[in-house]
Amino acid sequence: MKKNRVIALLMGTGLLLSSVALMAHHSVSAEFDTSKKVTFTGTVKKIAFMNPHIYTYVEVKDPDGKVVVYLVEGGAANQLYRSGVRPEQLPIGTIVTCTNCSRSKSANSMNVNGRLTLQDGRAALGAPGGPQN
Amino acid sequence: MRIRWNSIVILAVVLATFVVVQVIGAVQAPAGQQGGPAAGAQGAGAGGGAAAPGQGGARGGGRGGGRGAAPQGPPAGPAPRLPNGKPDLSGHWTNPYTNNMAGRGSVLDPTKKRADGTCCEPLTWERQGEALADAKGGAKTFDLPYTEWGRKKWADYDVVANGDYAGSCLPFGWSRNINSPHGVQLLQNNDAIAFLFEQNTWHTWVPTNATFKWPADLPRTWNGTSVGHWDGDTLVIETKGFNGYTRLDTTGHPHSKDVVFTTTLLRTDSNTIQHTVTVHDPKAYTKDWMNVRTWRIKQPTDVLMEYSCEENNLGLDDGAIVRWKFPESVDE
Repeated sequence: MKKNRVIALLMGTGLLLSSVALMAHHSVSAEFDTSKKVTFTGTVKKIAFMNPHIYTYVEVKDPDGKVVVYLVEGGAANQLYRSGVRPEQLPIGTIVTCTNCSRSKSANSMNVNGRLTLQDGRAALGAPGGPQN
Repeated sequence: MRIRWNSIVILAVVLATFVVVQVIGAVQAPAGQQGGPAAGAQGAGAGGGAAAPGQGGARGGGRGGGRGAAPQGPPAGPAPRLPNGKPDLSGHWTNPYTNNMAGRGSVLDPTKKRADGTCCEPLTWERQGEALADAKGGAKTFDLPYTEWGRKKWADYDVVANGDYAGSCLPFGWSRNINSPHGVQLLQNNDAIAFLFEQNTWHTWVPTNATFKWPADLPRTWNGTSVGHWDGDTLVIETKGFNGYTRLDTTGHPHSKDVVFTTTLLRTDSNTIQHTVTVHDPKAYTKDWMNVRTWRIKQPTDVLMEYSCEENNLGLDDGAIVRWKFPESVDE
């Protein structure tokens, strides 16, 4: 049982590595600065399930009490839909964490690119996002 | 000992998972072809047990066959026929996602059939594989038989610094529409075939009746102007009349406004189309070259969907993505 859990964890790690490799695409670098990372935990406020990218709005309270909203970018809605992903699978109010997510190149933008996880450690983002074009 | 065994198993699982995800969709069958049965489908399969919408989008990743990717359609039967006896290509197709038409082994010589009569031998050219010293926007090579004009267009392409017209949601163009990962619905009758691209909900109409004539003074466009004819059971489409703003693929390979694409589509059975595209562009390339791909019919439940590029392209709106600007001249 313990061995199964370890294997499952490592499989997840492998999948994460895979997604990172797939993200190494020029059009990601066109929008995000992969050297500028941010980690936050917050509450899902809204999911814009649209093209060419879905965005999950995550409300985060800073240590000083200030509330900010990050927009976590995902793949194209059409491709995610074909993958069985539905916005209802992540209810509004769910607590999620974005670990080492890349910040937007725009200083005024709260857009980030990365993977969300649930509080129990499961991926809150099963599908690693599809290509834009 | 037990710990060592566990470590070996775990390492193997991680590596296998990593490798599998990377190669799915890049299947080449047979050699020289792009796109196996699942190619072109989204890479969502990597996320088994999805609990929520996918994030961390990999633009241009797009590999693998996820749930619903429909690697297999209904059992194959003979290719259906139109009332005039010609093959009916109508259907919703997975055309392999091809973000790089110059991928290893995929650039073929349209003049050289293989020994077994199939198409075609790999193309060879001068300076093949040589690095471009003056490349902008990342490392590049002579991955196609560039003329000096084509080489400069390729070397200068820098999507980060200058943006890209597709990132600005402008029309992808004939080549890039077909290369996109979103599939295409074909509608056909005796006189014409319509391409309904899911990518940005674009379309192209191709007359196949020899009596049809386009207006001679039709403006140049993003998708060009196409004319089709039959060579036996193979539909041959010639497309030209481009505005010169488009690129061949997401990677940014160039073409001139005077490029002529010759596309062939042969429905070999009810589930399969053999697709070739030959690029004839003496301004950009010293030799004609081609790609060969296999399309697969989608599952009946996989329907053509509306796709608005403009509705949520937030990276362009907030200035993170550089907005593409029309060039002063497409000929320079």
